[in-house]
Formats: sequence, structure tokens, C-alpha cells
Amino acid sequence: MRQSFSEWTKSGAPWVWLNAGAVAICLIMVIGLLSLIAVRGLGHFWPANVVQGSYVENDHRVRLVGERVQTEIVPAEQLRESGVTVTENVEEMHRSLMKVGNRDHGGTDFIWIIDDFLENKENPEMLFTAERREWGNFYGYLRGIKEEGTLVASHEGYEKSPEYQVLWDALQTRIERVSSIQEKIDHIEKGEISSINYELERLRLKERSLQLKEIVESAPYQEITDRRLALNAEYESLQSELLALYKAINRDSITAEIANGQVVELKIASIVRAFLPNDMGLGGKLVHYFQKLWEFVSTDPREANTEGGIFPAIFGTVMMVLIMSVIVTPFGVVAAVYLREYARQGFVTRLIRIAVNNLAGVPSIVYGVFGLGFFVYFLGGHIDDAFFPEAKPAPTFGTPGLMWASITLALLTVPVVIVATEEGLTRIPRAVREGSLALGATKFETLMKIVIPMASPAIMTGVILAIARAAGEVAPLMLVGVVKLAPSLPLDLNYPYLHLDQKFMHLGFHIYDVGFQSPNVEAARPLVYATALLLVIVIALLNLTAIQIRNHLREKFKALEM
Amino acid sequence: MTSEAKTHAIDISSLKRDNRILNLEEETLALEVKDLKLCYGDNEALHGINMFIPKNRVTAFIGPSGCGKSTLLRCFNRMNDLVDDCHITGQILLDEDNIYDRSVDIAELRRRVGMVFQKPNPFPKSIYENVAYGLRIQGVTKKRVIDETVEWALKSAALWDEVKDRLHESALGMSGGQQQRLVIARTIAVKPEVLLLDEPASALDPISTLKIEELIHELKKDFTIVIVTHNMQQAARVSDYTAFMYMGDLIEFGVTDTLFTNPEKKQTEDYITGRYG
Repeated sequence: MRQSFSEWTKSGAPWVWLNAGAVAICLIMVIGLLSLIAVRGLGHFWPANVVQGSYVENDHRVRLVGERVQTEIVPAEQLRESGVTVTENVEEMHRSLMKVGNRDHGGTDFIWIIDDFLENKENPEMLFTAERREWGNFYGYLRGIKEEGTLVASHEGYEKSPEYQVLWDALQTRIERVSSIQEKIDHIEKGEISSINYELERLRLKERSLQLKEIVESAPYQEITDRRLALNAEYESLQSELLALYKAINRDSITAEIANGQVVELKIASIVRAFLPNDMGLGGKLVHYFQKLWEFVSTDPREANTEGGIFPAIFGTVMMVLIMSVIVTPFGVVAAVYLREYARQGFVTRLIRIAVNNLAGVPSIVYGVFGLGFFVYFLGGHIDDAFFPEAKPAPTFGTPGLMWASITLALLTVPVVIVATEEGLTRIPRAVREGSLALGATKFETLMKIVIPMASPAIMTGVILAIARAAGEVAPLMLVGVVKLAPSLPLDLNYPYLHLDQKFMHLGFHIYDVGFQSPNVEAARPLVYATALLLVIVIALLNLTAIQIRNHLREKFKALEM
Repeated sequence: MTSEAKTHAIDISSLKRDNRILNLEEETLALEVKDLKLCYGDNEALHGINMFIPKNRVTAFIGPSGCGKSTLLRCFNRMNDLVDDCHITGQILLDEDNIYDRSVDIAELRRRVGMVFQKPNPFPKSIYENVAYGLRIQGVTKKRVIDETVEWALKSAALWDEVKDRLHESALGMSGGQQQRLVIARTIAVKPEVLLLDEPASALDPISTLKIEELIHELKKDFTIVIVTHNMQQAARVSDYTAFMYMGDLIEFGVTDTLFTNPEKKQTEDYITGRYG
């Protein structure tokens, strides 16, 4: 059946196609975006095979060991111009980025090579990778193990053999020993000593505040001095314990042969884990992969954020969003209730409403500047004057921190909550309000007992939108509280447990920092994708939780269709 | 009265009624309306109403749409205060006090003069909490008192047997008729003196309507009831006295039987015989 074009237009079919097309494009973009960051980010944790070969460029031959990270095509002409001898009649060549590691010996972690110039490629099973606490990855052949400087085990050769296996197992047990000592050290340094420092600081502030109040009796001072002495004694004993641990952890070292044949010595204390990527089966690689993934979400970052995990950033983001929600909800609801229920609807209310709606469109960095100027310097400064004079000149709240960041974001998102709540309030049927009023309830009682509970799903919608906006915001946070590396989490076991004055880490800022401020860009790039993926997941989880709460509330008030 | 009009008039004798002799002059007054005028902006909706509502009787307001019967009803508990631009002059006396006096506590007035609306408007709470709402608002906290009152109110509203096993389920799961009786129970739980019913059965099916009408019969022993209705049969069935309003004026007010069988005014006759309205 042929149909004329005008009939086809009239039938509405083009419209349907147009809509379907638009939806499809949106879906493809979202899926494409997510899969790009997922593939790039998650691929980083896979233990790739380590390649060994001899690389010849312009008659210059070197032995090369490394992981291939990325490959691209370059025109041969371009290479010729840069002085590389390339055979005639070749139009284009493959170029790879190799992670060669050993930054402390070679100077760079990454080099670009031309694939065709790499000869005698092989994946020797004995080649091992060591993740280190500093200087990035190490690649090489294990040659010996030293205890207090004397060789206790060694092995030569490049083929896998039972003797080599013995040596390797010995290394693994020593690494385990080192990590258990490291755990103890961390526990003492970050737990006990940090608690003592925290308490000492509080004592100092207490003493200072006594001095400021011009109290002259000696009893309170004596008490402080006694406590300080006790703490110092405790600190001394911990310190000597630490010294012993450090001595123990530095006992062992290994010798290993690197790509250029040189044998170098390496402290086992500096190794996080060592593995033989070419000798691993699929199962082993999977186990390694998930270990790395877990390490990424559960541990602190290392090496200027380019290695290790991002747990503090996840924690900081979630914490800030939660505090922001707790602040923004009451403010938004109260403002909306006033605007909708109490204020006389007229020119002024309309003006306020327009202003509130426009507030949502103000660039977020402007909020950051306002937060810094008003909250941090003005409010924070006055809070310090009034409540923390003993800490001066060091600021307590007069410096960017978690609380100010949360309040600034609450200010940024309050219009969303106001608009959503107002919408919800308008939808409450008049009949229900009148029903309550007719029973002798005042307007306030009606609001508190009937109207606001019924509007709660709409309020939650506002909060969901606020969370979505706040969790992704980075620009204002850079001014009011986010840092590259926070020494401790804002929630810990030291009184008062929640430290609203502390600075914190944030996933969004972490992406920026790792991606653009990192000393080792090539090493950090995959982490940008991984962190971005995690940020999306965290926001999605926060939103899903809020949506779950809203659905529960909706269920409660479902049948009210009047 | 013409013979043609007679054939259209409602045959009162066929309706179920107790044949007491009613006399408006002998009734005790519950509410007295004196020269009540009401304007919405510049538009006067009630032009000086003078009437009274007899105590422990059912008084029905009938009249065509927009005649002001609902507006008058809402004056009795000052529901019109919620409407912007609404101006009221004149007096309504409840126990000889003007309810439009400055010193009147509106919440207390609304407790004394309860109201049931056209559409059932239960709160999104449990059945029990709906009935207990008014009590809690008044500050009653003793569980025993609330339990007893809830049971009494639900029994009075002929709902107890249907809901006694699911008191703590949501009121929104009930049928329309049940919801309306729940609203009545909720209203009488605070023991008002006057019960205002604004077309209470217009959104209900015939069986639910019948139940509501029976309920009104029962309730008039304890309460003064004022009902607004579109349905003249209903007015004739449930009320003792009927007021006919037209275009913001009270045209005729009298004993229901008399008004329906032998109206004094031509307008009333035209309306009840179905010539307009």
C-alpha cells in the first residue's frame, strides 16, 4: 500500500519516529558514556602480561621490559620528520605506550615505542612485577633475598625452575611479614599516636582558655600538667615500640636484575605486593583483579593519589551529601511552607518565587566564592572569636571545612527543594485541609499533622534532585573545604567524633586532581576513569536510597486521588 | 396550585417518616442568623438572610445550584474565612454569642460546629487515627478515653461492625460510603453541638446514600443537623424543616411536609415541581 507523504505526516508516524529517535540517541549517549569510563577505568586493574624484547631504533639497541598500555597509529612521514629511520613504502606504523616502571632507575615510567622495532618479543614466566609504596611499579628478575644485609637465598638464570619457586615463596612470606608489621605501624601512628596528639592539642587549648579567662588557681593547671605527663609517657613508650617495628620492617631486602642487566637492591618494606603476571592463569588473574578493585575502594591513596585507593574520597563525598541533605531539607520545607501557606499571594511573593527559581541558575562557583567570603571568613571568623579564642591564631571554623562545604551546597540546592515542596503543597486537596480545620485544628496543626506528611513524597523528590546536583558539584567545594589529601576522616573515635571543621576529600575533586594536577599523568589517567565511574555509582546509590524512601512514602499516601 | 403541578410534586405520604406534629414556633434555637450578607469581592452572594436552626432537628437547605445554600452552611463554622476576598456582615448567634465576634476562637467554634463535606475526605492515616484526630488536636492523650470515644463514634456512625477488625488499616482502603461514614464518625467524635452536612451523599451510590440517610435519622437525637442537598427526595426523606433558597435569598422556610405539599411561594412550588432548577 502506497501512502502519500501528506497522509503519512498526518498519521503522526513521523512524530513517533522522531521521538523514538531522540530517546534512542539519549540512551546510546548514556550507555556509551558509562561503558567508556567503565572499560577504561576497570581495565586498569587487570594484571597485563609483561613483555620483554630488544628494541632497536636508529641502530641503538636496548633490552626493554614493560606492560603495553595503549596502541595508536602514526603516519610514517611524521616519524621520518622526527628523525626516525623508517623503511621506504611504509605509510603508517603502530606506536605503543609501554609502562616500563623502575622510575628510580630509568627516570620515566612510560615510554613510546614503535611496535615494528621491538624484536624477540617474549613473556618470560620469571619476570615479576612489584607494586611499591613509592616510585611506582618495579619490573625485573628476582636474584636474591638478603636479611640484615647478608644473602640468605639466591638464584640465577631466566627459566622457571623448582629452586626459583622456593626463592619466590620465601619472598612472599617475607612480604606477608612486612605487611603485618606495616599494619601494626599504621595502627600505632594513625590510631594511638594520633589520638594522643589530638588529646594533647585539646589540653593545650584547655590550658590556653584557662589563661584567657585569667584563672589563677593552680588546681586546674596541675590537672592538665599531670595528664600531659601521662600522655607524654605513653607517647614515649609507643615511640620506642615504633622504633623496634621500623627496625624489624627494614630487616629484609631483595636483589633483582632489571631490564638493562643491572642488579639492584630493593627493600621488602617498600613492596606492597609482588606477582608473576606471565605465570598467572586466568583464575589467578581474576583473583588479583578483584583484590586490586577492592583495594581501590577500601584503602587510602598512595603516591600523590596516583596509586592505592580512594576510600577517603568516597567517605567524604557521602558524608558531605548526607550533611547537606540534613541541612537543606528543613530550610527548603520551611521556606516553601511559608511561601505557599502563609505569605499573602501577591506581587512580593511572586518576586520572591522568581528570585528563588533564578537562584538555581547561578553558576556554582559563585556560591563557592560566597561561601568562602560569608560562611568561612565572616561566620567562621566570628564563631572562632566567640567560641574558640584559645585556638587562635590558628582558625577552627574560620577555615574551609566539611560544615561550610555542606552549608554552601545546601544553599546551592535549596531552590530545588523549595520548588518541589511548593508543588507538593499545591497538590494536597483542599478537601483534606478543610476536613482537618473543620475538626477544630488550627492552620499550624493542619500543616504539621496532615499537609506536610502528605507532601513528604514531593519533599523527597526535591531532596533527590538536590542530592543529584550536590554530589556532582566540584567547583564551589574547592573554595570551601575540599583538599587533595586529608590526613584523617571527618568521622573517627576521637571526641566529638564528627569533625565538622575538618577538611575532606571528594571524588569529583579527586578526578580533577588525579587527572590534571598529578606528577605522573600516564599512571594516573586510568584512575580518572575509575574514579569517575565510582562517582557515578555513588551518586546513583545515594539517589536510589532517596527514591526508595520516596516510594515508601508514596505507597503510604497512594489511594488519595481526589 | 394547578393540577399539573400536583402530578409532579413529591408524594410525601409514600416516604418513610415519623408523623410527629412539628411546629417551628415551639422549637429551641440552636443557631440564629441575623441579616447575614456575604460578598465575594464585589459580588454579593447572600443578600441578608434571617432565619434560625431548631435544636435537635434536621434542617435541609434546598435550591438550585449557585443559590447560596452551601455558602450559608459554611458560614455556620466560618469555613468561608479561608476564602480570600470574602466579606461577611450581620450576625450568627450560637448560644446567644455572635460567632463572628472578634473574640471568638475559630478552632473552638469549629469543634462545636462540625462539618462533613461533599466528597469523603479521610486523612491518609488509619481508621482509628482518623477518628482520634479531633481528640488528639484537643490534647486528649489518655488511651482509654480515646479508645472509648473512637468506638462510640464508629458505632454511632454505624461503621463499627464493618471496621472493628481493621481499625489500624489505612482509611484510604475503604469504599466511598464507608469513608463518608468515617468522616461523620470523625466529626461526631469531638461531640459537636451542630453537624453541618454539605451534600454528604452526592458522591455516593444509592445503597451508601440510604445508609447515610438512616444515620442522619439516628444522629438527630443527639445533634442539631443542617444538611444541604440537591436531591429533593432526600430533603423530604430526612429533614424536619426545609429552607428553600434562590439567588442568595431565603425564599421559604418551614416544616418539610408543608413546604413540599403546600408551599406558600410560587418560586418554591415551581422548584419542587421541577419547573426549573
